[in-house]
Amino acid sequence: MIENRPWLTFVSHLSLLFGIALVALPVWVALVASTHPTSAFGAGHIPLWFGDQALQNWGSVLFDNAGSGVDVPVWYMMLNSLIMALGITIGKILISLLSAYAIVYFRFPFRHLCFWVIFITLMLPVEVRIVPTYEVVANLNMLNSYAGLTLPLIASATATFLFRQCFMSIPGELVEAARIDGAGPIRFFFDILLPLSRTNIAALFVIMFIYGWNQYLWPLIVTTDDAYYTLVMSIKRMLSVDNGDVEWNRVMVTTLLAMLPPIAVVVGMQKLFVKGLVDAEK
Amino acid sequence: MTDIILNKIGKTYPNGFHAIPSIDLTIKEGEFIVLVGPSGCGKSTLLRMVAGLESISQGDMMIKGQRVNEKEPADRDIAMVFQNYALYPHMTVYANMAYGLKNRGESKNVIDDKVNNVANMLGLEALLQRKPGQLSGGQRQRVAMGRAMVRDPKVFLFDEPLSNLDAKLRVQMRIEIRQLQRKLGTTTLYVTHDQVEAMTLADRLVVLSKGKAEQIGTPMELYSKPATPFVAAFIGSPSMNLLPAELNDQGIKLSEQLTLPFEHDFRGKLVWGIRPEHLEVSDENDADFAMRIQAVESLGVETLIHGVLEQSDGASTPLVVRLSGPHTPEINSLMWLTVPEHHWHIFNAETEQRLSES
Repeated sequence: MIENRPWLTFVSHLSLLFGIALVALPVWVALVASTHPTSAFGAGHIPLWFGDQALQNWGSVLFDNAGSGVDVPVWYMMLNSLIMALGITIGKILISLLSAYAIVYFRFPFRHLCFWVIFITLMLPVEVRIVPTYEVVANLNMLNSYAGLTLPLIASATATFLFRQCFMSIPGELVEAARIDGAGPIRFFFDILLPLSRTNIAALFVIMFIYGWNQYLWPLIVTTDDAYYTLVMSIKRMLSVDNGDVEWNRVMVTTLLAMLPPIAVVVGMQKLFVKGLVDAEK
Repeated sequence: MTDIILNKIGKTYPNGFHAIPSIDLTIKEGEFIVLVGPSGCGKSTLLRMVAGLESISQGDMMIKGQRVNEKEPADRDIAMVFQNYALYPHMTVYANMAYGLKNRGESKNVIDDKVNNVANMLGLEALLQRKPGQLSGGQRQRVAMGRAMVRDPKVFLFDEPLSNLDAKLRVQMRIEIRQLQRKLGTTTLYVTHDQVEAMTLADRLVVLSKGKAEQIGTPMELYSKPATPFVAAFIGSPSMNLLPAELNDQGIKLSEQLTLPFEHDFRGKLVWGIRPEHLEVSDENDADFAMRIQAVESLGVETLIHGVLEQSDGASTPLVVRLSGPHTPEINSLMWLTVPEHHWHIFNAETEQRLSES
């Protein structure tokens, strides 16, 4: 039955529009604010239409040093963030693929114990183990380095679990057919398993990239050298200025820049992402 | 020449379950062997042991005079067709068929030749660039067979390959498999639970029950001289009428009121059997016994009449009669039957073995 009730359509559209406005308004405000001179915010009201400083603001934020004691420009911090996010994402996927492969397909002693130990680390995110992790990273001389930024975040119980479920849903007959076709463990992994978990890898890539990009606490602690500052952590730094005269226009530009890469990843991988979460083409 | 020898092959699972106690089987080159039995009888386990997908707990397995117990499936020179086809879903039909050859390190030209050859034989040329998801059930089945044939193995193994097809296609594929096997002359082991498939395909049948080979022989041997009541009931559809009986001086006593004259040295409990198609309708005067009709199944070409033995004591003994052509007997009426002695099957009730001819 197809429902045809005009007032219901109207109400539902209205609430959807309201929802969109609710989500989009802050983004709009940020976008508008990024085009005004600093002085525009002094009076305490928020401008709702574009100013005339767009090019100037964006250019100076991207390429001049960020100020407030940060001696690198924003594009450099974006690069740092990107390296960290990609490092975490790719590292997580590789390690989880391998550990899930071992757990599902190889009969070694304490297999189940291994899985559960990995699984339990879900209860130990960085925030919980931050002091001992810092100690380890410091002892290994990895403070202020990309390795220090990425390695402690690279092991992932979530991804291991997801890949385990994905591998377990691959029919046993397929594995046996590959065995009869003479595919050893490594061939099987690359020829059968990887292509079949393609969509899962894409889905995880999206989730993990956003997770890595948005890291705040860990980079804040492990970096003291400006050359390794990430974008997300330095937004906070831009707000805490001495005389209370926050440069809102610059903050807004930085915020918008921080939003772009995750959006790009989500939009670019949307199709695969949805497929990975919903569809099982096996 | 013998091709495969199973010498006292057995399988015991780690939990102590004896899936297969011990089976002996010698397969000649080019022979089509069908393993048949109800589910859980160990037929698939046996096939998987030959394939090398299950370890062999005891006994020896030889392929072409070579002991292969510890060999990897890929090194046994076998090819297997799975029940769900197990095609690689992300590869094209061509890549599916070429994968085994590629892993063996064959050159591109050789692979191309072989795949095209087999695709020709199976009528798959037009489908080579498609993915399995875009194929129908019958086409997938063909690709699975093609993948096996491309490797030109010493032995084909089929694990219930037709059970996912609809009835009409199944009949067609059955004939095709038989013709292909004849043409290629490759030794074949085929597992099924369908006795019609088993009878029509096999050079020799192995009837399995609870991991034991009940009987090994040609389809006609099994039909005309089943060795045990199990085989008697399993081969033929509808199954053989098997009645508990006793042999005494007068003959075979089926019930207090019914004894069929018969002479044999044996005395004691036995199972007396006759196939539904061997019961003959007759006049009341010549009849051996009567059946009270309970249900009639008309299939046009034949009619199956279900009923109970009129002269049974206490517990009613069910009987099935199979008549060719259409018949319309009345429900609850009596049907008089004769049972020609040369169609009897008599088994010792205790040892469950066929009684030797006296």
